[in-house]
Amino acid sequence: MTGAPDTVGTPRPVVHLEGSPGLGAAFARALVPSRAKRARLPEHELTIHDFSQDRSRLAAYSRVCGFTLRDAVPPTWIHVLTFPLHVHLLGDADSTIRLAGAVHTSNTMTLHRPVLADEALDLTVHAEGLRPHRRGALVDLVGRAEVDGETVWSGVSTYLAQGMKAPGEPEQVERPSWEAVTPQARWRLSGDLGRRYRAVSGDPNPIHTNRVAAKAFGFPRPIIHGMWTHARALAALEGRLPERFAAGVDFVKPVLLPGTIGFHASTVDGGIVADVTNRDGSKPHLRMRIEET
Amino acid sequence: MTHSAVVVGGNRTPFAKAGGPFAEASNHDLLTSALDGLVARYGLAGQRIGEVAAGAVLKHSRDFNLTREAVLSSPLSPATPACDLQQACGTGLETTIYIANKIRLGQIDSGIAGGVDSTSDAPIVVSDPLRRTLLKANAARSTKDRIAPFARVRPRHLKPQAPSVAEPRTGLSMGEHQALTTERWGITRDEQDEIAAASHHKLAAAWEDGFFDDLVTPYMGVARDAILRPDTTIEKLAALRPAFGGPDGTMTAGNSTALSDGAATALLANEDWAREHHLPVLARFVDAEVAAVDHPGGDDLLLGPIAAAGRLLARQGLTLDDFALIEIHEAFASTVATTLKAWDDEDYCRSLGLDSKLGTIDRAKLNVTGSSLAAGHPFAATGARIVPTLAKLLQQKGPGSKGLISMCAAGGQGVVAILEAV
Repeated sequence: MTGAPDTVGTPRPVVHLEGSPGLGAAFARALVPSRAKRARLPEHELTIHDFSQDRSRLAAYSRVCGFTLRDAVPPTWIHVLTFPLHVHLLGDADSTIRLAGAVHTSNTMTLHRPVLADEALDLTVHAEGLRPHRRGALVDLVGRAEVDGETVWSGVSTYLAQGMKAPGEPEQVERPSWEAVTPQARWRLSGDLGRRYRAVSGDPNPIHTNRVAAKAFGFPRPIIHGMWTHARALAALEGRLPERFAAGVDFVKPVLLPGTIGFHASTVDGGIVADVTNRDGSKPHLRMRIEET
Repeated sequence: MTHSAVVVGGNRTPFAKAGGPFAEASNHDLLTSALDGLVARYGLAGQRIGEVAAGAVLKHSRDFNLTREAVLSSPLSPATPACDLQQACGTGLETTIYIANKIRLGQIDSGIAGGVDSTSDAPIVVSDPLRRTLLKANAARSTKDRIAPFARVRPRHLKPQAPSVAEPRTGLSMGEHQALTTERWGITRDEQDEIAAASHHKLAAAWEDGFFDDLVTPYMGVARDAILRPDTTIEKLAALRPAFGGPDGTMTAGNSTALSDGAATALLANEDWAREHHLPVLARFVDAEVAAVDHPGGDDLLLGPIAAAGRLLARQGLTLDDFALIEIHEAFASTVATTLKAWDDEDYCRSLGLDSKLGTIDRAKLNVTGSSLAAGHPFAATGARIVPTLAKLLQQKGPGSKGLISMCAAGGQGVVAILEAV
């Protein structure tokens, strides 16, 4: 898990957005791959105040991801609510990192308390932690959701901007060891899953829905959104999730659509580890760790 | 050896009109939500319960294990077994009987009975010819054989079929059946509207008193039964046009239950087990009986519970006077009126093989916190709404108070049960 919130004393400039940003200019820019070589990020944080959750969209999201429709919402749903802020931030004129071409490599989120669907949320996202990686530059998009000043959810999404440069030397990260597992479940992902998840998440990246776009980024077929796989893995555990928990995932290898994948979970000291694997459990797609907080 | 099975309590979602606030919720969502609230109320998280039995009348084929799936989504221990049971509108009471009987036999110490229905998320079925074509194509081995059956599909086969509440053998809807009964038994419009208004007023008063605070958990922003009209009056109801029985019919949308969405659960336990676990003990499950009438042969569809009640009272050596409270499920206001009339009809009761009529009741004992006309009637959930409600009311009346539940169900069936305050 990476990207602890930064502790620099000076507050960031704040930019307020009215409602949820749609396909504005920034959104369009975020989808055009950047030609810049040096990674640069906006300084400001983006917020939306008093965001009302849409129950019928939550219902559709729950159906696509496999969650039971409850009053307490899944934490991955709150990530989806902050996602337009990610897009806007990376579509800002100050940003040379674009959403298109950036790879979501890992994600952590903490549900500080159960969040209800009828609570209005103040959503905030900023970028930090620009650092070199052997294949480009890493950046953390740090989000939080507040209710009346209380932080109820926080999340860190780490993206890799391939081929970009950031100052410094890449940190040597040791890959966690992997041993093949016997899947406890098999998920059959239909070819239209990317389209269905796009409809509920608002993530317009065409590599999830379009074969040509997927090929352009080096995938033989469209790939499912990593955050769908994350949500589906959480949904598989929904009966045993604690009220307050942190979930960290590493997106190890994209899942091609249509496709059949495996799932394996086990209880460990203080939490649950779960892996979404290929069909026979020999290779991981996503590795997840849940810890009660 | 028989054990004492008691009602510990219950939890349900508020009930709401079809296509209303729960339109996006499936049977699974609603039932899980009702279980969530029950688990929270009685601290059952992570616990293995003896068995959970619930059902739905309108059910998708993918929900073949609806109850077990809801248990797995709930915080109950995944080692809790479950079964689906369905007896039309009697489901929520039949699941209570099933669980109570297992407890009484000593097979389980605790159990949850429930029911759910979403008329908003009802399954749509393809026509029979199309379904057979799809099955044939699915079984075919070659591409040619797979395509061939479709040559016989006609445009009319493509029309999806929404589920209906018509009786398969008579083609009459439940309302149409009850309209025949209403006419035959000479039930007046005034009588029906009076029952409907009373149901709304009593349910509203119970909500005002906070009676349902420990029986209902809000869901999807709905905190109270959404069909309830506290300010309805007999005059307002009298202004509605007939819905069943033709232009001169007496049954309206106001004195018939609305298509509803909702889920209900009741926690039952061995009395000793409940006390050891410091759980409330509201009422003992005494006995139950089911019965059926020959509605394809012309009998009144919704009077199945009359024979059930007669046989049950005879077996227990009880009369209607022995009951402090009586719950008659309000499928229609006229079902309540005909049930009361039939109980007091010597010839009718003898025609059912009973020794004599059951007699009359003091109307002040009837549906004292309202019933399905005001609360709504998500078919399979209603029995599991009534059981904890009556158990709580009986406990308030004091030890030994007895209550009778009478529920009519499709297929000419009736389910009846007795609870007694501990």
